[in-house]
Formats: sequence, structure tokens, C-alpha cells
Amino acid sequence: MFKVKITDAKLLRDMFQAIAILVDEATFNLTPELIQLRAMDPSRVAMVDFQWPKTIFDEYQCDQPQKMCINISELLKLLRRTAKEETIELSLNPENPRLQIGITGKYTRTFHMPTLEPQEEETPTPKITFKTTAKTTTDGFRQAIEDAQLVSDHVRIEADAEKLTLQATGDLMGATIELKKGSDALLDLQTQEPAKATFSLSYLVEIIKAASATSEIATLQFANDMPIRIDFHQPKEGKLTFYLAPRIEVE
Amino acid sequence: MIFLKAITVPTLFKTLAELCENLKSTTKRNAMINLVASFILQLEVRETSAAVLMLIGRAFPKWDQRVLEVSWAALGTIIRKILNLSDEAYFQAFDKTGDAGEAIESLFREGKIRRQSTLFQNELTILEVHRSFNAIAGITGTGSRERKERLLETLFSSATPLEVKYIVKILIGEMRTGFHEGLMELTVSHAYRIPLKVVQRASMLAGDIGEVATLAKNKGEEGLQRLKLKVFRPLKPMLAQKIESITEALKEHGGKTALEHKIDGARVQIHKSRSIVKIFSRRLTDVTSSLPEIVELCQNEIEEAEVVLEGELVAVNKKGKPMPFQNLMRRFRRIHKINRIAEEIPIRLYLFDLLYINGKSLINQKYTKRRERLGKLAGSIPLTKNIIASDPDVAEEFYKQAIKEGHEGLMLKNLDSLYTPGVRGKKWLKMKKVLEPLDLVVIAAEYGYGRRHGWLSDYHLAAQDPDTNELLTVGKTFKGLTDAEIIEMTKRLKGLTVRREGNKVIVVPQIVVEVSYNEVQKSPKYSCGMALRFARITRIRYDKSVNEVDTIHKVREIYNNQFQRKSRAPQL
Repeated sequence: MFKVKITDAKLLRDMFQAIAILVDEATFNLTPELIQLRAMDPSRVAMVDFQWPKTIFDEYQCDQPQKMCINISELLKLLRRTAKEETIELSLNPENPRLQIGITGKYTRTFHMPTLEPQEEETPTPKITFKTTAKTTTDGFRQAIEDAQLVSDHVRIEADAEKLTLQATGDLMGATIELKKGSDALLDLQTQEPAKATFSLSYLVEIIKAASATSEIATLQFANDMPIRIDFHQPKEGKLTFYLAPRIEVE
Repeated sequence: MIFLKAITVPTLFKTLAELCENLKSTTKRNAMINLVASFILQLEVRETSAAVLMLIGRAFPKWDQRVLEVSWAALGTIIRKILNLSDEAYFQAFDKTGDAGEAIESLFREGKIRRQSTLFQNELTILEVHRSFNAIAGITGTGSRERKERLLETLFSSATPLEVKYIVKILIGEMRTGFHEGLMELTVSHAYRIPLKVVQRASMLAGDIGEVATLAKNKGEEGLQRLKLKVFRPLKPMLAQKIESITEALKEHGGKTALEHKIDGARVQIHKSRSIVKIFSRRLTDVTSSLPEIVELCQNEIEEAEVVLEGELVAVNKKGKPMPFQNLMRRFRRIHKINRIAEEIPIRLYLFDLLYINGKSLINQKYTKRRERLGKLAGSIPLTKNIIASDPDVAEEFYKQAIKEGHEGLMLKNLDSLYTPGVRGKKWLKMKKVLEPLDLVVIAAEYGYGRRHGWLSDYHLAAQDPDTNELLTVGKTFKGLTDAEIIEMTKRLKGLTVRREGNKVIVVPQIVVEVSYNEVQKSPKYSCGMALRFARITRIRYDKSVNEVDTIHKVREIYNNQFQRKSRAPQL
């Protein structure tokens, strides 16, 4: 038996949205303590690692660990029909392999959708020795990324002891965006040695847009030409982490 | 007891690309077969199907309707992005070679690559390329173009220039190695020591040489023998050889044969299971959605739960007289406003064979038996008109009647023949009304594909307009000439070249050829408004000069003559 209830429909929708930017079909691990998912996008450039402890929910019931695979974009279609103050109840019946979605507000409706064959293969976590850790406001980082997007489809992220620099170079235009240590946007910066890496903006923009709906603060970790790890701090001990592989210039 | 776990290593895509290079550099069939046989023997079971299909330029098996749908424009965008190239530099690569794979390979060798890396970087394996193809084909809905581009960008980023070349070739579906499906069947037969006939039969039934190779590896000959016809998985159609006279056919079939009207339409395979109907074209493409009225017809008229039928679709006018072939093709390509065109170009279905009924394959039953059962279940759907004859005069009369009714000719089928999918034998024969050949001049030529790579093997043919003294293109063909003749043509055409336009050369009009064709059809492609259908060169006319080629008036006359037998299409 698996059954959860949440009174903030928007929160649930935003969290599913953050997963949906990378995967269509998602396999969730449901345990008595939390809901967890780790998945890569089909091109294996980006990964989402996410956990919702049961404390996020108003009611949480799960007697034994199990897997649930669903089509996230189909589920989101239903969740987009919810208003902010409505209550959502998700339940999975072991005899009947489908997910039931109850939405209660001014009126009550109950949807159901099929569950799919879960993916058995576990996605490993990339093992990276990071050289820089930067703590930013999610909004500050989002603004910087959206500035870069105006001129290019990729951005170089650099750090030294004093600042975080985003460098975007397009065919004709360019942009340099600096976040100085101690500014409103950059809350903390720890650099063991200067590091830089370039990332595709098409991924970064989508990730940040989706994640900023539930997160105020983001921690970035990176190293020279290595994947970046971004932790978007979540309410109530939730975890939403993305990894993104860099673009590399070959001479 | 000790259990040994087989340690298998996934095969690198590089190995496949290198094999293709080796295939390209040899023209000897046996050498090719040996190379590919030793390659497939070393494959893991789970990668065999993908590898076998890739070698013949396919991302998916034939029965599988998924497509990669990567346009030229999208491919160009991604390559330019990875290499940071201007449009001009990109297109310049295509000036040097008409082979897209080679052009892009050279760009990757020379260029500075901006690679999108992946989280777990590994050398590209056949399975990984296959996984990417699946992911690309699986993308639908909003933002699908961008997501497709991301996948391709990452795939190209993980590949070496040689690998890029063959990924491009598979995307386009043209390997140009000269190694085709027929050779793959021979290779599977050779590698696993299974008689060729067994492999071919299995390949036809499965519609998937990849699956056949996997089965051969896993279960051997017995596995292939157990393959069965399945509803919704189309099989290759049985083909007929051409003959010139009815007496010849009667002799071939032991004095007695079944004659059927040969309808000039599109051959289709209809699969029905309860209320679900799917229609496949001769090339096994799913054309169901263009033909809603045929689906409905089969749902209403055929009561048997599960059947696989063969028939011919023909566009007709209000009086039921057939219209030229091209009107029907307009229906097949149609995706939008299907109902409107269904009213304007009505089509009729004529059934002629039954291959499967309620779990039982009939392909090993005799023609007469199949035809008899077909008649019983067809409801109000007409069968092609047929008679059984031993008297040449009766047969001749039947042929004349077919032509008079606007049909193409006759099919002549051996009464005891079994249905042999994909085989062009003498059990089925065809006799067609022949149109008089035309003498035309070659005004341009293109470099060919695959085995014909490097040869000018595709010819633009023109007739003369005596009023303006112009030469007007009426068709294009790569069919009919022997290799030796193509080599000779290439030499002569190179000497006559005026200028080159990409893959095409414009030549001084001097070489005259005799051309056969099935029909003259209306065409917006050429300025004269007509085109030859199925043009093929029957001989090179050394004896004729450009002044002696046929006129555009003669071509128009042949076009108009067909309407003595057929109805004209409504103007749309």
C-alpha cells in the first residue's frame, strides 16, 4: 500500500516539473521513509537526483519498499489542472497496477493512470573531485544564466578566490557576468584552486527555471572541464540535485 | 561444481565502422561475406540484431514503423554547432564528395570540435548507438526538435570522425558499402551453417534480418524453422517474372494456368485482428491512416477474426473505370484532409490472396486452395477477375478483355504453387501491355550510390521540342545498363561535361539511348509537364544522333492514348 496526501498542490506540481525536464518515464523508489529518484536524460548529459522525505507530505503511508514507474508528462497534464490551495492524494493499489490521483478543492475529481514497467538498473552518482563550491541565491544564479542566454547557447563558469564569473560568447555578441563574494547573489565561495568549465545553456536554463520554483538557495560545485553539481535547497529536508556534463573544446 | 560466467564485452561501434570501410574497399562477394560472418560470430546475443541492421543501413527492422526523422536541415544545424562552422564552410565539404557521410567525416577530421560530454564517458558501443536511435525515435510532442538535436549532438560528440561518417550513413539509410540485405542473408547462412533457403524464409516471415541473425546465433536452424507468420507483421510479397506470351506461360505451368486481371494499382497487404485493421504497402510501410474507407470496408465485410490478405488498390472514377497510377499515389502520401481526398479520388480494393487465417498460416497451401478460401470470406469485396484456362485462345481473349477494361495485363499463376514470400520465380508470371520504347538523349548525369559510387550512373533523359528546338527532360533513370556499359558511359560523359553542379554533371547532348517505361504520367517536376514512370534504358543507340531523338509531341500522344482505356483524374 502506498498513499500520500499533500495540501499544497503547487509544490507537488513544481517538483514533478523539475524531473520532467530530463525524463519522460520516471522510476521512483518508494520507501517507508521517503520517495527517491535518480535518473539521466536520454542523451546522458544531465542527471537529476531527488528525495522527498515523508515530512513534506501531510499524510504518508508506505508499508514496504517498492518501485513505481510513471509517465511524468502525462501526470503533469493532470496536475496542471489543480489550483494552488487544492489537496492532492496519490495512491497505488498493489492489486491494480495503476496510480490514482485524487484532487480536492471546490469539487472532487479522481484520475487514474497506468504504471509502467520499472527500470531495474540503478543510476550511479558521478564521482568527481570538486575544486570550487559556490552558494548563490537561486534567483541570482537564474538571472545570470538568463543574461548569458541572450548572446550564446553555452556559458563558461569560472571561479577564483574572489568571484564567480559567467562568460558567454556568441557568434556576434558576448557577455561577462560577475558575482562577487559577499554580494547579494553570491552568499559564499570556497575555491581550492581556480576552476572553469563550459555548459550548454539549453540544459542549464531549463533546469534552473524548473528548480527555482521550489528553491531559494543553490550550491554549485565544479572543477576544470568536469560535470557541475547543483544542489537546489528544498523545503523540509527535501533534496534536488542536478549534474550536468560540460562541453569540451578539442584542439 | 564450478559455474563459469561468460564474460562478454560489448562490441565497439568503431569495429563496425572499420568493417564497413573494409567492405567498401572490396567488390568480391565472398570476401565481404567472410568479413561480415566473422564479425557477427563475435557479437554478443543482445547486440546482434542492432549490428546486423546497421550494417545494411537500417536503424530499425523493416516491419517496425519507427523512423529517426532527422532532416537534412537538422543534421546541418547540429554539425555546424559542434564544429562552429559557417553555412558556407559546411556546404563546401559537399562540393568535394557527393557522399554525405564522407563530407561530414572530413569536416570532423579538419575541424575544431566542441564536444558535449556525457556524465559517464565511455567509448561508443554498438548498443549505445542503438540506444540513442531508440531515444531519438521515441521523442514526440512539444520541444521534440530540440531534444532530438541534443541527443544527436551528444552522439556525434562521443564519436570519432570515422564513427560520425557511419552514424550519418545509417541516419540517411545509405551505407554505400555494397553490402545489402541479400548478402546479409547469405552471411547468416554461411556463419551459422544453416541452408540459405531456411534463412531467406525466416527473413521474409520475420521481416527482420536482425531478428533472424539473433535467432540463428541463439537457437540455430531449428529456431529459424519455428518462426511463424504473425498478424500485424507484414511479410515480403511474392513476386512474378515477366513473360512475353501466353503460350509461354501455359508451357511453363504445364498446360494449365490461373489467369487474373493485373490491376494497375498499388499492391497492399491487409492485416486484420478482430476490429483492428492495418494496411501495408508493397514496401511494408504502414499506410493505414491514409485509407480510412478501406479499413472500414474490411471491418464491415470480413467476419473472420484474424486474416492476412493481399489485394490491389486502384483509384477509379464515378463509373468505376481505373484512373492512372499516379492518382492513387497521391492518396498514399496524404496525411491531411484525408476525408476530402477520399471523396475526390475514390479507391477500390480487389483481393487476390489469403495468407493467414485464425492462427494458421496458408503460405504452404496451394494457390487454388487459398483462392477458394479467399472467395468464401471476402464478403462484398470483389476479387480480381480470374479464370483457369488451358486453351490459348480463351486465355488470349481474357487478356484482351483485361486491357480493354483499362488494366495493365494479366497475372498467370501456377495452380499448385505455394506462396513464397519475397521470391521472384516462375510460379507467378506477369504479362503486360508494352508501350513502344522512346529514343531519348542524355543531357545530364549524376554520380551513383553504393556499388555505383564514382560512376555516372543516373541519367537525365530528354526529348526534343521541334517547335522551339529545345531539349525537354521527361525522366531520369539508373536502370537498365550493365556495369561495363555504365563505366563506358561515365568515360564518355566525363568527356562531354559542360559543368558540374554538386553531384550532377551537365553534358553536351550527344548520347542517345532507347528507353522503356510503364506509363507516361503527368508531372509538375519537368517543364514539359510529363514524366516517364519506371523508365529504364534498354540499349545505347550508337547509330542515332541527337537530331533523331523522339519528339515531345510523341510523348504527349502516348500520354493521351492511355485515356482511351482509362479515366482522367478530377482536377484538384
